[in-house]
Amino acid sequence: MKKVLAIVLAAALCLALFAACGTPATTDDTTAAPTVGSTAADDTTAAADAKLTATEGVLVMATNAAFPPYEFKEGDNFAGIDVEIATAIAEKLGLTLEIQDVEFGSIVGGVQTGKFDIGMAGMTVTEKRLKSVNFSESYAKGIQSVIVPEGSDLTKFDDVYSEFDAEGNPAAVKEGIIIGVQQDTTGDIYCSSDPADFGVGEANVIRYKVGADAVQALKAGKVSAVVIDNEPAKSFVAANEGLKILDTAYTEENYAIAIAKENTALLDAVNGALKALTEEGKVAEIIAKYIPAE
Amino acid sequence: MAEFFASIQKKFILCFVDDGFWKWLVQGFKNSLVITFFAVIIGFLLGVVLATVRSSYDKNEESLRLRKGIGYYLLRFFNGLCKVYITVIRGVPVVVQLMIWYFVILVSQKNGVIVAVVAFGFNSAAYVAEIFRGGIMSIDGGQFEAGRSLGFNYVQTMIYIIIPQVIKSVLPTLLNEVIALLKETSVAGYVGIMDLTKAGDLIRGRTFEAFMPLIAVAIIYLITVIVLTKVFGIFERRLRKSER
Amino acid sequence: MNGEVLIKVENLKKHYLGGKVKALDGVNCEVHKGEVLVIIGPSGSGKSTLLRSLNLLEIPTSGSILFDGTDITNPKTNINIHRQKMGMVFQHFNLFPNMTILKNMTIAPMKLLKMPKAEAEKRALELLDRVGLSNRAYNYPSQLSGGQKQRVAIVRALAMNPEVMLFDEPTSALDPEMVGEVLDVMKELAAEGMTMVVVTHEMGFAREVGSRVVFMDGGVLIEENTPEEFFAHPKSQRTVDFLSKVL
Repeated sequence: MKKVLAIVLAAALCLALFAACGTPATTDDTTAAPTVGSTAADDTTAAADAKLTATEGVLVMATNAAFPPYEFKEGDNFAGIDVEIATAIAEKLGLTLEIQDVEFGSIVGGVQTGKFDIGMAGMTVTEKRLKSVNFSESYAKGIQSVIVPEGSDLTKFDDVYSEFDAEGNPAAVKEGIIIGVQQDTTGDIYCSSDPADFGVGEANVIRYKVGADAVQALKAGKVSAVVIDNEPAKSFVAANEGLKILDTAYTEENYAIAIAKENTALLDAVNGALKALTEEGKVAEIIAKYIPAE
Repeated sequence: MAEFFASIQKKFILCFVDDGFWKWLVQGFKNSLVITFFAVIIGFLLGVVLATVRSSYDKNEESLRLRKGIGYYLLRFFNGLCKVYITVIRGVPVVVQLMIWYFVILVSQKNGVIVAVVAFGFNSAAYVAEIFRGGIMSIDGGQFEAGRSLGFNYVQTMIYIIIPQVIKSVLPTLLNEVIALLKETSVAGYVGIMDLTKAGDLIRGRTFEAFMPLIAVAIIYLITVIVLTKVFGIFERRLRKSER
Repeated sequence: MNGEVLIKVENLKKHYLGGKVKALDGVNCEVHKGEVLVIIGPSGSGKSTLLRSLNLLEIPTSGSILFDGTDITNPKTNINIHRQKMGMVFQHFNLFPNMTILKNMTIAPMKLLKMPKAEAEKRALELLDRVGLSNRAYNYPSQLSGGQKQRVAIVRALAMNPEVMLFDEPTSALDPEMVGEVLDVMKELAAEGMTMVVVTHEMGFAREVGSRVVFMDGGVLIEENTPEEFFAHPKSQRTVDFLSKVL
């Protein structure tokens, strides 16, 4: 037994060595072109000479295409606000857009290691994410909405709490309250925190792989409410009878594009393109196309 | 080298210590074990019943037909039912079955772990049934005849004479099924259950570190499987004693 | 032929493949209480099928078998009850390999006759003592020689207190030097007055112990007689041919 354990640990250590060697390099991707300057991270002046993206002429965008209307699949193609804005940015920068559909949780890590050039997936700027990557200017506003069944006792999110402290901050969650969320999204992170941080606590959250499953669980009565971005929430409520969105949102926040910390050149370029697109009215046009004004 | 260890340590702390994420691993591991344990029990009991019906029909079809009792038609019906069950279960991915149980059949059951136990248990039963059927068919016909000639009825012969011998001969294969089941529970996350894999996933989503949580999860699974193998090995050796 | 009839076989037929193969083709015979009926015949003659039909290990195609006056071929008869009274010994012993000798012998009395464990074990040890194997009670079958295994198989059947013992070629799978020890046990049993039906190739045993000898060929009884008459003056030509080959 001891021998086996030793072998296992040794194997784990070997793996650790490989990984440790792999992490610091910005472009360790095997598909990366050899022209990429690996010193770009340390020497910002070199950025001007370095290529903007890992593969010359191609802008690789990581997304999780299960978050309508920001990104979703239409047949074999990708569509959505993020997809169209990214296309417009790539066009402005003279690059070809390539989309990689990955798990939401893998996006920031992939951008950080240079596997993807940008990450766009209805992603909000959080302190934790800022530790790993940079974010562009915001291109859209995200609202975390609360979906409940018609006739639910919950009329606002605060109704999930049974107690408040002297300052009026939540202190305890009502018994039987379960909030459904999409794993790794803002709704998940916020709701999983303690009541004092306006969440409901680990134990009262069920995390689903996709938002649609959370909504199905809501319909089946397995959860009391679903907290999810406002735009997909609207789509879900429109598609499912007997559900409604609470008038007051859970939170409101801004969506931005994740870019590797080292690649300030790309950050500047993307911000420039975004600014131009906003001025041209292109951004508003794209958003209006997917989210009809109420 | 020191730098390397420092970076490993930093990542370790980031992934497991800082936000108390190690608790997710503990909770997830516990859920994985609970689901596996109870699913194995359901799978074993139901699997033995399925296997008994199937092999009883295969072994006794001729004699029952000759005796023309209602038993023949009943057994034939149940045999057909078992066949359909095994075909369907083995033909549909377990994650799809799990979602069907969660979203369609056990709609009112709010405890996801219970749904997973049922889904994995019923799934495993089909595989256990085939393992056992093979085991039953491989037991020498003389053992059945000896049991029957002493006056045991069919079910008693199965319970007292055949099944104990079958268990011994299928134990290694059965262990494989338990190990496979433990690893299959990693799809429990699809219905919102926090199993070990999901715990690793969550840490990955929160820390944006792929290496640490994945390796941690992998090592926990691996050690569990090694321990299981060891325990079954001891069990098997004890049963084998009688063969010498 | 004194003693009342214990088993009565009437026009018994066993056909396979829709009648193409006739293992038994209309057999009539009787087994009387206290007698030793020896069935002999070439291989494929149907003698084993006949024996195995007596406790319905083979289900006959037609005909009837009366055991103690009950037709056991009737599907409504609970055959398990009747099998308890018909001990059977197989060519290949069929001991349960995962149980000790003692467990082999006590499981049926305990589970079926609801005999208390202590009593079942006491009886089992007495029986083992009779066949000289009481020191083997806690061994497993794989630790015994073929002759020992068959002796255990005989006392395992006896542990159920049967009214008749059926022997299906009990010495055919044994090394020659072990045949004697098994036949000795069977002789002793016969001397005690046990009703026995024996399918065997041991002509010496048939002559010495048998009350009656039945010769079978092609699924039918060719002739039956006392051993003395049977071996001294066979009536049928087929019997003569057979005996000329085996004696």
